[in-house]
Amino acid sequence: MTAMHASALATMGLDLLYVLSILALTAIGLGIVFGLLGVMNMAHGEFVMLGAYCVVFIQQRGLPTLMALPLAIVVCATVGWAVECYLIRTLYSRPFDTLLATWGLSIVMRELIKAAFGAGYQNVTLAAAQPLQLGTLAYPLYRLELMACVFLGLLALGIWFGRSQVGARIRAMTGNPVLARAVGVNTTRLASLSFVTGVTLAGLCGVMLAPLVRVEPYMGLDYLLNAFFVLIVGGFGSVAGLLAGTGIIGATQSLTANLLDQTAGYAAVLIVSILFLWIRPNGLIARR
Amino acid sequence: MQRRTFLGRTLLGVTGMASSSVLGLAGALTARNAHAADTLKVGAMIPASGPAGLFGPSSKNCCLLAQDDINARGGILGQKIEMLFGDAGAGPEAATQTALKLWKGAGVRAFVGMHDSAVRGALTTMLRAQVPYFYTASYEGGECSPGVYVTGETPAQQLAPVIPWLSEQRKLKRWYLIGNDYSWPRETNAIARTHIASSGGSVVGEEYVPFSVDNFDASLAKIRASGADAVLITLVGGASVSFNRAFAGLGLAAGITRLGTLIEENTLAGIGVQNAENLYSSAGYFAALQTAPAKAFAARYQARFKGPDAQLNSLAESCYEGFLMFEELARRAGKITVPAFNVASEGAHYDGPRGRVEMHQRHVVEDILVARASPSGFEIAKTFPAVGAGQSCKV
Amino acid sequence: MVSSRAANRLALVLISAALLLVPAVVGDFDAYQIALYLLLGIVTQGVALCWGNVGFLCLGQAVFFGLGAYLSGTLLRAAMQQPVMLALLPLCLLLPAAIAYLLARAVFGRKVDNGPFFSLITLALAMLASLLANRFSGLTGGFNGMVDIPDLPGTDRYATLYYVIAVVSIGSTWIFCRLLRSPLGILWSALEQNEERLQFFGFDTGRLKAIAFAIGAAASGLAGLLYAPHQGIVTPSAIGIGMSTQFVIWAAIGGRRSPVGALAATVIIGLVSASLRDRYPFWEALMALIFIAAVLWFPQGLSGAVAPWLRWPARWVRPSTSLTEQQAPALSSGAPSGGDAVPHLQLQDVHVRRGAVRILDGLALESRTRGICCVIGPNGAGKTSMFNAMSGRLTADRGEIWFNSQSIARSPAWRVAQLRIGRKFQIPSVFPGLCVRHNLLIALWANRLSPRDYLRSAPLGWHSAFGKRLLSRLPLLQQRPELAAGSLSQGARQMLEFAMVALMEPRLMLLDEPCAGLSPAETQQLMEVVRWSVDHLGASALLIEHDMSALEAIGGHVFVLHQGQLLAQGALAQIKASPEVRKVYLGGRK
Repeated sequence: MTAMHASALATMGLDLLYVLSILALTAIGLGIVFGLLGVMNMAHGEFVMLGAYCVVFIQQRGLPTLMALPLAIVVCATVGWAVECYLIRTLYSRPFDTLLATWGLSIVMRELIKAAFGAGYQNVTLAAAQPLQLGTLAYPLYRLELMACVFLGLLALGIWFGRSQVGARIRAMTGNPVLARAVGVNTTRLASLSFVTGVTLAGLCGVMLAPLVRVEPYMGLDYLLNAFFVLIVGGFGSVAGLLAGTGIIGATQSLTANLLDQTAGYAAVLIVSILFLWIRPNGLIARR
Repeated sequence: MQRRTFLGRTLLGVTGMASSSVLGLAGALTARNAHAADTLKVGAMIPASGPAGLFGPSSKNCCLLAQDDINARGGILGQKIEMLFGDAGAGPEAATQTALKLWKGAGVRAFVGMHDSAVRGALTTMLRAQVPYFYTASYEGGECSPGVYVTGETPAQQLAPVIPWLSEQRKLKRWYLIGNDYSWPRETNAIARTHIASSGGSVVGEEYVPFSVDNFDASLAKIRASGADAVLITLVGGASVSFNRAFAGLGLAAGITRLGTLIEENTLAGIGVQNAENLYSSAGYFAALQTAPAKAFAARYQARFKGPDAQLNSLAESCYEGFLMFEELARRAGKITVPAFNVASEGAHYDGPRGRVEMHQRHVVEDILVARASPSGFEIAKTFPAVGAGQSCKV
Repeated sequence: MVSSRAANRLALVLISAALLLVPAVVGDFDAYQIALYLLLGIVTQGVALCWGNVGFLCLGQAVFFGLGAYLSGTLLRAAMQQPVMLALLPLCLLLPAAIAYLLARAVFGRKVDNGPFFSLITLALAMLASLLANRFSGLTGGFNGMVDIPDLPGTDRYATLYYVIAVVSIGSTWIFCRLLRSPLGILWSALEQNEERLQFFGFDTGRLKAIAFAIGAAASGLAGLLYAPHQGIVTPSAIGIGMSTQFVIWAAIGGRRSPVGALAATVIIGLVSASLRDRYPFWEALMALIFIAAVLWFPQGLSGAVAPWLRWPARWVRPSTSLTEQQAPALSSGAPSGGDAVPHLQLQDVHVRRGAVRILDGLALESRTRGICCVIGPNGAGKTSMFNAMSGRLTADRGEIWFNSQSIARSPAWRVAQLRIGRKFQIPSVFPGLCVRHNLLIALWANRLSPRDYLRSAPLGWHSAFGKRLLSRLPLLQQRPELAAGSLSQGARQMLEFAMVALMEPRLMLLDEPCAGLSPAETQQLMEVVRWSVDHLGASALLIEHDMSALEAIGGHVFVLHQGQLLAQGALAQIKASPEVRKVYLGGRK
């Protein structure tokens, strides 16, 4: 009895960690684009979708699944570069219009994928499908791998951003673009690079998630909203904020879903986000 | 802005809008007047998007096969069938609009629908028995609206004989019920409870999840905690796939039997046979059915439609059956109106891929199959012959 | 101005005629489909009002539409048993309007420039609403929807309901157009261009936004009221974000500033999309591209493209009757600012700190005199910050500010303005998109326009005796009153802004370098007018100035600020002689 109780608790703990990992993973890309650059990219979820469909594409052609990673990087980087160059760049000073233009972009991306792959749900097969047995606990191996990846990735990102020059330059650029240019920071290239990195991370996230979630053209919206809520609650511009936001949103959703049901879980997330938007729009760990 | 660019853009904008309006109008008009009045227009409402979207391509194929087969036999009452498709997967409101356009706009004379119960409810209140409406998907029972002829399975068929048999086979006592949050799962579960009770079992949990949910961890934890040894699944399409994959991924498949009434070949392919240990499905047809008419039908289907999207499955095949019933009722009634069909419906029967199907009280009596998932797909474990639908609709 | 009004009127007449003729021309079923998009067009008009004319975007308008639809469905179904339920139908407008008003007040009350966050809040609310609609299936029918909604009594949804809907949509378009021409509409327009400036005329902009939002919500609720009997079914898709974003797309393409454009775009694009969407898989993508183009390059949308073509025939349509001139009501002298008493300003130990910087460091100052007092000091002394603290732009961390025994230290700008304190900014801040005449009108309306007057056309013709004499002294402003304020020269703009401040007839004027950027001749002219106004109004004025010659010409009391504190005060000669002042600041010439 105690062993079962313990394994049930352990499973719940792993489930929570899994939810947090996915949240953090999907929010990183938006954290760079929205949190650092200040661009409200409503097409963020569609880049995740692009990554997932790269896996579908690779598997449909019978190629080894790992090839989806470089494919996703190439596809997302190209699309991201084009979008930044022709769409975002003209709208840096108009946040509203960025929101709307990227929303339009998300529709375009969704419809193109729908035309290419169909509106139905795509199956992505998984190599490491069997559960890992740890005593009485069985947990999917792939999920554990994912959680480890996310943890290491966040660690690396935190260190790099805090220590490296690029992080400081990005912060300078968003704080005072004119002055940054005056001291020799190539703001155009830096902005483009940041945006491309952000959306490519989103694409990679899609690749990693594809075996675990439903792959269909409308999958992006949930990730977009969750990522936004994470950033709003936690505060943008820092890894600490990302973690804080992930923790609060993830915990709220999991706890409420376990106590009541899934709908209540999502409703709780919405309510928390609305409260933060209203009372503390800069999030818990504000940048300034 | 420079005047030239402004004028240029204005012209572009106005021209764009004007031409697309003209295009749209032309498109709408041609759709109306395209074909001669010599064909019989039939509306086929099948899901092309939404949670049941994965049944779309195969259902469409079966409808086309039915159209060809019936036209080869001379059509219905001497007229060839012209099939007009409408997307029934975009929710009840949008489906109502689509059906309305087919009915009042394009002049459709009858509908054959393979879609969820929410859409059925909306369509029946919209049509109000003005045109015959054949509903072919398995559902929760209780549809007695006038003008509706149901060839889909009811819980009296899919659960009443199956639950006692399965409980006895697998020694099942504690059932967990999980489904999507709308009418079909709720009403099916209400009926399932009585059958579970009468076979000596008990219900240890009941849960409804919205369509958008992707992560079933909380539900799976509840299932494990409840000590269930059987799960009755009334999830639809993608949700069913995600749930079943996660179920197996967390190691629950070996100890807990799963029974679903909407798990067909596409869903099984999505779940993956390695995740389908102890998974059972009950329906009136499976592609693996080995009777002569079923094998002939499957061979014809596979010869014509190839590709992984178009895998033959019970829901798609139900569209074919719906057309066969329509053909039979029209033949018996002599004209295509609801009163004539009502008179003709009682006792109407035909022999199709499922074998003999007979209509009583606007529902059907047919053989019911229980299939178990195996490494090669579904294999039929038990056949219950001529099971009635258990409905009491006035004809 | 006039020609676009006439163009709008012509468009309205043409469209009304077309709409009423539709069933005869295309048949009942097509009319039925058009009616659906007319209803959705009304909601789009609500979105366009808030977005294009007031400046904030609601991404969840379907909440109000869906709420109205569900209410209507419930009441109509209940009315089959108890016809008295029909009397509750106005709830379908009132409940969404009330919710919208409270929501806007709550959000805009906290922080005025909450734009993008407001949009995200409405987006989250739309999601919450659709979740709740799915969940509470007892009330709403859940995912299956509320079915079997009967016809609106006296109508048949496939035949006569069309006329009801057509009339309602024509009516709503006409109401929106009238609203935009009323004083409320002009205030909204001013709000969109320069919200802060409007607050300094005593208008609570949060309330104005809330009114706009409530009106948009009421229109959406009305559309929902008719939607339920028209469709016979209401599902959560009518209340979620899919529908909400569709309204935004139609508003963007149709022209967010134009009610006619919003309606037309909804009908045209909606109909065309409905028929083409299934045939061409790229249709939605094309629509999205057009939407992106509209956002990037065509903020005026379809209506912006079409309006110039309508102006030519519109010349044949007479514009409305010219406005009758009318004396503006007098400012209530019983106001808390105390009528004719000498304006008394007192700052006590005011501290303002931003990070490590002490902007105001225990500033203590008192002024109880009519006429102009000058405020001087080196850059960074805190002169503008003192004004900011007095007029709600900066919040004092410690200390008190009293004006005529009213505490204004932590009051919002509009409340300070209501105490008849007028503020002129260093960089002239006017309403650039409005014409000069409307700029001056808004100033005239300050503290005079009661909510009752918002919708009357009389205030458009107000003038005051003082105003006439003031403007006679500023001929530059009287030359072309229909010119947009944004196209005036710097000098003219300074004069315009001062005229607006003076028209308020304030008891205390805060003038921040009113002659910045002016030539010596213009400076002299403006200072003349300033002196005359202050004298004539019997008001007190604080004037920040750097130019020594101007100071000498004014010759009043002088306050010297340094590092956030009052360094010295007195007559100019005294100040010039003071050794402390010399040490800190030697005035220069222009």
